[in-house]
Amino acid sequence: MTEAAGQGRRVEKEPGMSRFAVPLALAFVLAFGPPAQAGQAQPGPADINGLKKSAPKVYLDCSSCDLEYIKTEITFVNYVRDRKEAQVHILVTTQATASGGREYTLTFLGQNEFAGVDDVVKFFSNKTDTEDEIRKSLVKSLKLGLAAYAARTPIASRMTVSYAAPPPAKTGKDKWNGWVFSLSGEGFFSGESSMSRSSWGTNFSANRTTESLKIRLGLSGQFNRERYEYGDETIRNRREAYSASGLAVFSLGAHWSAGVSFEAKSSEYENIELGFRAAPAVEFNVFPYAQATRRQLRVLYRLGGGPVRYRQETVYDKTRETLWGQSLSVTLDVKEKWGAVSVSGSGSHYFHDFGKNRLDVFGSIQLNLIKGLNAYLIGGGSRIRDQLSIAKGTASLEEVLLRRRQLETGYNYFAIFGLSYTFGSIFTNVVNPRFGSAGGGGIQIHID
Amino acid sequence: MTLKRLALAAAVLWSPLVLAGQESPAPPAGPLRVHLESSVLKLGDWAKMIAFAVPSDPVASQVAVAVERKEGAAWVVRFTGRGEFEGQNDVFSCPAAAGGSEAEAQAAVLQAVKLGLMRYVSKSPLSGRVSISLLDQVKPTAVADPWNFWVFSLGVNSFLNGDKTYKRQSWMGNFSAGRVTPDWKVRLSLNGHSNRDEFSFGDYVYKSTAHSAGFSGMAVKSLTDHWSVGGSVTVNSTTRQNVRLSLNPSAAVEYDIFPYSESTKRQLRILYRVGLTNVRYREETIFDKTRETLWSESLSATLELKKPWGTISATLRGQHYFHDLSKNQLEVNGEISFRVFRGLNFNIDGGGSRVHDQLYLAKRGATLEEVLLQRRQLATTYEYFFSVGFSFSFGSISSNIVNPRFGTGGPTSISIRM
Repeated sequence: MTEAAGQGRRVEKEPGMSRFAVPLALAFVLAFGPPAQAGQAQPGPADINGLKKSAPKVYLDCSSCDLEYIKTEITFVNYVRDRKEAQVHILVTTQATASGGREYTLTFLGQNEFAGVDDVVKFFSNKTDTEDEIRKSLVKSLKLGLAAYAARTPIASRMTVSYAAPPPAKTGKDKWNGWVFSLSGEGFFSGESSMSRSSWGTNFSANRTTESLKIRLGLSGQFNRERYEYGDETIRNRREAYSASGLAVFSLGAHWSAGVSFEAKSSEYENIELGFRAAPAVEFNVFPYAQATRRQLRVLYRLGGGPVRYRQETVYDKTRETLWGQSLSVTLDVKEKWGAVSVSGSGSHYFHDFGKNRLDVFGSIQLNLIKGLNAYLIGGGSRIRDQLSIAKGTASLEEVLLRRRQLETGYNYFAIFGLSYTFGSIFTNVVNPRFGSAGGGGIQIHID
Repeated sequence: MTLKRLALAAAVLWSPLVLAGQESPAPPAGPLRVHLESSVLKLGDWAKMIAFAVPSDPVASQVAVAVERKEGAAWVVRFTGRGEFEGQNDVFSCPAAAGGSEAEAQAAVLQAVKLGLMRYVSKSPLSGRVSISLLDQVKPTAVADPWNFWVFSLGVNSFLNGDKTYKRQSWMGNFSAGRVTPDWKVRLSLNGHSNRDEFSFGDYVYKSTAHSAGFSGMAVKSLTDHWSVGGSVTVNSTTRQNVRLSLNPSAAVEYDIFPYSESTKRQLRILYRVGLTNVRYREETIFDKTRETLWSESLSATLELKKPWGTISATLRGQHYFHDLSKNQLEVNGEISFRVFRGLNFNIDGGGSRVHDQLYLAKRGATLEEVLLQRRQLATTYEYFFSVGFSFSFGSISSNIVNPRFGTGGPTSISIRM
């Protein structure tokens, strides 16, 4: 298809939409001539552009990856924007590792001409790896996994595999016996003439993770300040929260785990001066834990409680009490070619009054069933009958508008959904950084 | 407190489990041991040409490779995993050009063997030392594309949440058409956004709405590896900034100190833009205007670096109107994340602007609710935000064990990009 004609006509069909805009845009388009010719293969050495046409078509299912870098570094495949067009669908899933880094699992799924040719390649990042280090490791693993597909197409003849001699072996003795300690802090400050906000927080954690036992210990503090000017009035708000928590989980076979957790916290928002809670728990995963990066169906039962002291007298006339309760939760996580599903439901109640209970559901579904059509739904809702810590007295208008303290409610919900339909060119090989790479009017959501 | 003691007791009771063996033996780090059966390739020949593998007898081998020639057809290469690679097999025919010489056929088979072995290399300690690349530069547009690189997209998104005293609804819609090739970048998009909040305070219910809608079009032509020119048109309407309708055509030129081809590693782009704004306001402004047409220019510099030690992204931008040079704005934004040493990382993200060009401010003041919910842009001479964070880790910081039990260790991540 010759593009020049189509492009020229498109521009000329927009006369007089405004007095200024179109003539200017027109001037530019006309001044610099018709846009690029669609890739006509230049018969160069080995006719590389011809070979590229039959190179594997790849769909990379990873929106947190640096796609522009990958496309610049791996040029022996063609990138397509829809999974149904691809010959290789690469699912990228991650899981936290003991050291706070991530395990990246690259699942290569052959489709169409390459149906049945599958592979899994893994690599690990450390907690303090930089973006550049992670994207380099990702590119290396992608290349290793894509080699078998490229080997089936003529572009293989122009590929090279090089090998660097091994460095001297390092000693692998771990004097810390698997313990990882981490201290982190963050502060956020913003403002203009009539308002300012600041928040800062700090966290300390000590973790030890092995295949048979997972231990997590943490301390955290969170501080918020706000100031708004309204006429002569200055409205100030402050909020603080502290917590300490611990968890030990023992592995009992491929499907069962047992553990115990404790938490101590203080929160102005929740009207809690100091609360303790300890709870043993047991978990069953319908799928073996080894498949956790792709599918999990976990059922968790927890029994526990502890003493709590309130900041202000509660609506139930309490300043302190000891509460015991139980909870059951079910979580399903699946990541497949057609999308991802994560659904969980949980219910809990106190023993002293079964009417003090709570039901929560959360779901996140992302689907790509039809070529070009993407749909997602993320939603959650709670039926709340256990707000034992609400303080007596009414909140001020400012507290309501700024959601400064927990208010009495019987429920809450949220839902986010979206649909997008994309058609046109399936290839996304091109990287063009001119005038910035930011896309036009897209949306991106991450849930971790 | 008694509970804490209970928890401790439980931990102590189970402590023998802690000591149970968790060290798994590291796989041998030597070259891949390959047993090759082939009437085409001589053993001595191939071993010299595949540096990451050594010939091995069938018993000690990790991979067995068999090369056969189908009757009058292509070569077939068969890989069979042994030992730790048991069950990992592959077979494909070698896409060697027909009618080539025997030497060419041998080279093609050897290439197929090398690439086919990568499946095993990727799961061995060799993976870090092997690199694969394409010998030639190739045009990204060297594909057969009936749509000629045009992509169209239609999207709707919604966000709803609430409880007994608060409700929020947000809707967004957009349509975009784009064509990106190395020579041209064309983008057209239409978008709309509507937002509605409702707060109950006793008998008083406060409702608030905000809308915006717009069109933007941009065309950028690549001139050299350092220069680009382009034009854009935006049409906008927003309640927050008191704009009923604004039309803003502009022309721009950009220079990148580094070649654009290095953009994923480093960019320092300087962009000059001159344009016209024709705007009609919703309410009379503090400058007694209901509509005006103004020329302005802007200059910005953007630095983006991604290096092994970290990432820097920063923009400095200044702009002014021509009718009154004191109506101007200076803006700086930056984001830096860097590693001081293995274990200590810093993140700094911030921005600030000196604002002297709020020509759109309405005469009528904002209500208390509008101030607290930031429903209207208020008069200001500056804006800033700044965030800083650090993370310091020590101990067994290169342990790669994954333990997904009780969920906290391996959160499922869902990413949506539309």
